Amino acid sequence: MLELRLVQGSLLKKVMDAIKDLVNDANFDCSSASFALQAMDSSHVALVALLLRAEGFEHFRCDRNISMGMNLGNMAKMLKCAGNDDIITIKGDDGSDTVTFMFESPTQDKIADFEMKLMDIDSEHLGIPDAEYQAIVRMPSAEFMRICRDLATIGDTVVISVTKEGVKFSARGDMGSANIVLRQNTTVDKPEEATIIEMNEPVSLTFALRYMNSFTKATPLSNTVTLSLSAELPIVVEYKIAEMGYIRYYLAPKIEDDEEETKPEA
Amino acid sequence: MAAMETLGILEEVEALVSDKHQVVSYKWLSRNFLVPSNDAKRLLQDLVDRRGSSLDVVYTVSGWLNNNPPSYKVRLVNGVGLEKAKQDFDGNCSVQVYSVQASIPRDSAVLWNMESIQAHELAKQPSPESNCLRDNRLCGIINSFVKRNVEGGHATINSAPQANNVEIRRPSGGLTGSGNSMGPPSDQNKVQQLPLMAGRQSSNMVKEVKTDKSGIKGHDQNTKSSAVVDKAPSLPSKGLGGNNSSKNGGSLSKLWGHATVKSKPTIAPAINGTEAKSNAIEALDDVMNDNEDEDVNVKRGSNGRKRRVVFDDSDDECEDAVDLSSPGKTLPVNNADITGQIEDTVVHDEGKKPDFTACNQLLNGVGSLALGQPGDSKSSCAQTNDIKDNAGASKAAPNASKRNKVLKTWIDERGREVTEVVSERDETEKKSSETKSTVKASADVTTKPSSRELASKKSTLAMGNGKAGGSKAGAKRDPKQGNILSFFKKV
Repeated sequence: MLELRLVQGSLLKKVMDAIKDLVNDANFDCSSASFALQAMDSSHVALVALLLRAEGFEHFRCDRNISMGMNLGNMAKMLKCAGNDDIITIKGDDGSDTVTFMFESPTQDKIADFEMKLMDIDSEHLGIPDAEYQAIVRMPSAEFMRICRDLATIGDTVVISVTKEGVKFSARGDMGSANIVLRQNTTVDKPEEATIIEMNEPVSLTFALRYMNSFTKATPLSNTVTLSLSAELPIVVEYKIAEMGYIRYYLAPKIEDDEEETKPEA
Repeated sequence: MAAMETLGILEEVEALVSDKHQVVSYKWLSRNFLVPSNDAKRLLQDLVDRRGSSLDVVYTVSGWLNNNPPSYKVRLVNGVGLEKAKQDFDGNCSVQVYSVQASIPRDSAVLWNMESIQAHELAKQPSPESNCLRDNRLCGIINSFVKRNVEGGHATINSAPQANNVEIRRPSGGLTGSGNSMGPPSDQNKVQQLPLMAGRQSSNMVKEVKTDKSGIKGHDQNTKSSAVVDKAPSLPSKGLGGNNSSKNGGSLSKLWGHATVKSKPTIAPAINGTEAKSNAIEALDDVMNDNEDEDVNVKRGSNGRKRRVVFDDSDDECEDAVDLSSPGKTLPVNNADITGQIEDTVVHDEGKKPDFTACNQLLNGVGSLALGQPGDSKSSCAQTNDIKDNAGASKAAPNASKRNKVLKTWIDERGREVTEVVSERDETEKKSSETKSTVKASADVTTKPSSRELASKKSTLAMGNGKAGGSKAGAKRDPKQGNILSFFKKV
């Protein structure tokens, strides 16, 4: 028996929008403590990890650990049918091959049940070791989205370099090149507008912008985004979901075969 | 090492020894299970401690002999002769398990059979592939300054002759290695206590000191050029594995740096996109900076889209371009003959090469390499001149200008061909007239192309066959893209 009631139903819609472009099918793992998802994109380059803790739900009941394979596109379509203010309840029965999404309008005068077929998905759960990252950048998520979008018009890849001066995003393409440098900035009125750089070692890594732009689909979930970088490790792009959990994207870096390639033209 | 793993290896070794009657030496063990050689010795010791009664053991005893003058010896002795052998050494001899076997073989060569076969196999692996024999990873003695040279004769170790280095005598009840004061050394298995072996090992390797990259800019480029040159010939074999070069760039680039490929730069049309442009520019930089580099080198990125072309001599490319290293050289003035106009040729050393390359690329893109032919040469060389002039005018960087010389060739009033080398400083006064002549020279070209325009032209040219690569990289698998599974393991 599974029953998860989320008053802020729009949050689930945003979560789906943040994942569905990257992953087609995934298993939602539900335990007594959390509602979680971990999935790789089809090319096994990026990984998304979603965690929604039980505390964030108004009502959270999960008798035993259950893994529900869902087509995220279909799930997103169903959740689109929920109003932004609706209360969403996810319901499942043991042994059932369906999941039910119940949408209640805030005034309780409309209740909609959408039942979706579950799928059997081979689970490829990856162990993600805790790592100390060489550089951690926290910045406004809208700013990050803007940068990724802008750079994608220039090139396919972005080089993210963190130095003590700041964090630099650069891209090169047929028409030219672009460099965007953000400096540490903590003197802002609102804490979510700050750019905070914690750096132990300078680090510079190259990533495919295509994936970065998929990640920024999570921007509506959080005002800030945290980028954690280490040489030899995937970048972690984390959006905190207020008081509930997080959505984290891991992206394997591109392997640079030449230093010269990243070097600006003389 | 985890206890479980150790246990697994030990069981397997036991099975090999008792069931297959194989001689398991620490070297074989180390390479086969990829454990450090010292760990392999400890494993064998562990096995001997547990199952000593059912196994015959060959020990290495090494240390200074009691003889006068003292000499350092490594001896192989069997368990029975161990105590006796120890007495021959002074107090500080080291005793380690060399191998375990069901019984001491009658023919001592059997001792080395397995590891010799193994070493052969490792040495026969295709060269770009690194293995424990090549990169010395299992060795107890590691010198970080030593780079291994796979293709060179040094690193391919044949352990068979090593067996011959050591005479084994059985009659005294023990296997006694003597004659050569070393045990049966192999490059990847070391007894740490043997400074002699360390010395020998490093002499077996190709030493190279990392070039200090903190030099001046020009110097830096030279350094890079050598790296480029070294990597270049690897293109046929540079597959996915080549992507690791950034991690251990220095050593890998050396591994690849053996055969040089000579070819004419006719592959240049394959250059696509901006990356290619920058590559070509860099490559040309390299050549210009390093005049000794006579080879034409081609480097292709792992995705097959990029090539690096290094032109061996600019003279081949543009016949009216003269390198300043030979100021007295007269040049064939085809264009002057053809056009009957004044042709100016400027050769720049540093600042203007990109433009030069861009021009070359344009030429290549158009598919006309034959500069000597009237039709093409007129327009393309006119462009060359033009670019150079532009560059000369706009980019007269202080360090570039000091070596800039201008070679002027024209037909004088009496119809004679006059060639003159003028230095840049002298040239500045004549700049205005020169520019005029350039305009005349480029009259055939509809617009006066700046280097920027050329670049855009080039990219449009490249679009034809190169643009698809970009979008393809998005849709298809990009070989440079890392895989998340290589970072996180499935659970």
